[in-house]
Amino acid sequence: MSAVIEIEGLRKTFRSLRSGRRVAVDGFDLLVEAGQVHGFLGPNGSGKTTTLRALLGLVRADSGRMTVLGEPSPELLPRVAGQVGAIVESPQFFGNFTGYRTLRLLARAGGVPVSRVDEVLELVGLHDRGDERVKGYSLGMKQRLAVASALLKDPRLLILDEPANGLDPAGIREMRDLMRSLAANGVTVLVSSHILGEIQLICDHVTIISRGRRVATGRVDEVLAGHDRHEFLVRVAEPERAVDLLHAAELTAVVDGGALVVSGVSDPTVVSRVLGEQGLWVGELTPLRPDLESVFLELTGAYEHSSVPRQVGDSSLPQGEAVIDLDRGVDA
Amino acid sequence: MNLVRAELERLSARRFVQLMVVLLVLAFAVTAATTLAGSHKPSVSELNSARQQATEARQSMEATFRECLARQGGALPTEDGGMYLPADCSEIDPVLQDRLPIAADFLPGVFTFAEQAQPLLYFLIAFLVLFGFLVGASYIGADLTSGGVVNLLLWRPRRVTVLAAKLGTLLGTVLVLALLASVAYLATFWVIGQAAGLPGRLDGDFWRSLGAVHGRGLVLVLLASALGFAIATLGRHTSAALGAFAAYAVVWELGARLVLEIVDARKSDLFMLSSHIGAWLNGGARFYDERLCAGGPGLNCDSFYTITWGSSLLVLLVLAGGLTAAAFAVFRRRDLI
Repeated sequence: MSAVIEIEGLRKTFRSLRSGRRVAVDGFDLLVEAGQVHGFLGPNGSGKTTTLRALLGLVRADSGRMTVLGEPSPELLPRVAGQVGAIVESPQFFGNFTGYRTLRLLARAGGVPVSRVDEVLELVGLHDRGDERVKGYSLGMKQRLAVASALLKDPRLLILDEPANGLDPAGIREMRDLMRSLAANGVTVLVSSHILGEIQLICDHVTIISRGRRVATGRVDEVLAGHDRHEFLVRVAEPERAVDLLHAAELTAVVDGGALVVSGVSDPTVVSRVLGEQGLWVGELTPLRPDLESVFLELTGAYEHSSVPRQVGDSSLPQGEAVIDLDRGVDA
Repeated sequence: MNLVRAELERLSARRFVQLMVVLLVLAFAVTAATTLAGSHKPSVSELNSARQQATEARQSMEATFRECLARQGGALPTEDGGMYLPADCSEIDPVLQDRLPIAADFLPGVFTFAEQAQPLLYFLIAFLVLFGFLVGASYIGADLTSGGVVNLLLWRPRRVTVLAAKLGTLLGTVLVLALLASVAYLATFWVIGQAAGLPGRLDGDFWRSLGAVHGRGLVLVLLASALGFAIATLGRHTSAALGAFAAYAVVWELGARLVLEIVDARKSDLFMLSSHIGAWLNGGARFYDERLCAGGPGLNCDSFYTITWGSSLLVLLVLAGGLTAAAFAVFRRRDLI
């Protein structure tokens, strides 16, 4: 597969008189290949938006190499800009314009046929509201308009920063379907989101960033498998006795609520056999698979039981600076 | 071209631009209406009387000048006989006066186009300068604040082209609007002069002089627009331009002028932008400075100094051009966050 987005060693430091020097992105790498729907995850202040802004030439990187559709960015970005649709954070539109006029203006500036405006309004579900002023739009409608503006160019690459912001559940589902349909038509999508369940449903690949560095990347199922502790939820009549029996069989088990959590089990039949042999019949044996949220929180340290509120940017780095790259192995 | 068309649509749709145009039309309508209400077509007797009074006034000036020369030559006693006569008679030489009394000066309640056109044009230019500065600043300032520029750059990732298209559109629009407004404005007052007043002496000299003021005024309007645009770009906000303007007016034009007076600085008007604006608009300006002649003004020392329109234009071009170039250089490298 050919690389649609390549970022190597991206570094960006912001300097200000008031807050001094702040490293936003610190040697970040990203590879998005053609046809992927690639999720880009990270806690607030981890460098996601800065990365996307640098990629799109809105922020000047201190160092690093970036290419978009094979062209070095930002130097030769204008060559491929017509094939890249993007929204970065929540774009603001001119409140006095209608949705239709907003898109017509962008189409005109970008040399896109105005007939495309109706098509994209239909695609994002704003066709019947296109003649209303943007200032009357809800947050979700503005977000739909932003996505419509990104789709206007009929792009080969779509970069969406938090596209689900402000959308209601039905809107989120529509956005998911839209992205799937775009991917099915060969559009490569890079989407950043905080709604991890959505990323898990939509994306086939994921990259997780924490404090400006990549902490995991690869296929979503492989990233999840990499964090599978082989745990099982077990329900039996006598949990305390069951724990003793499992410990005797050199298995790790703890009582959690009314059930047991057994970990480090490669073959779950061992659990039912050990307990069954002692007359304890297993009522439920459920594998506890990690979801993207738990992996994200584990990798970024974004959720800790603490009496002190977590601050923006307080996420963690991978131990020993290792990066879990399931496509390429582990980079030390 | 597509970019310019899109920018033109954005600019014309801006509420602030529309508000300023409405204010311009309102100011225009109020001035025209009050002029029309306060003027009437003079009768023949009024005209004859005014001409008579103007002739007498000119003759009186001649007589006073001759008297001054005679006293200077020793033909008359030095007592002034109740009449003020300057030591230097050239001060009251009718030939050296900017203008001599004419009939229009003695026609109260009669609007004379030839006499009033220039002051009216100055008012229009002042409004258009304000319009250009504010619209220039708010056009880019609001776009930078709202993310409109970022949106546009996602479509056309060429910063200099995008900013140049914005500035070009702004200057083009302001120029067309200023031209249309001034033509409509002068035409209206010309009609008032014809219908309810006096046209006055509308010869080639008049139109040449008015055209020169008009041309210089348009240049000033464009420079003010570029200046507002440049300062707002540098400061990322419309308020940066407004703040810079207010700070300059208070700190420099008022404060520094006072300090220069205290320290007895010579030719302090040279350092004031307002002097250069006045000099450019009027085709040059003379300023009085008593410090230029240590022993007091005399035959060998002139207490006046001149700022030519050429040097003023240079100052204004360097200021507006320099800030615009700086705005482009900064915008080209700036992080848009």
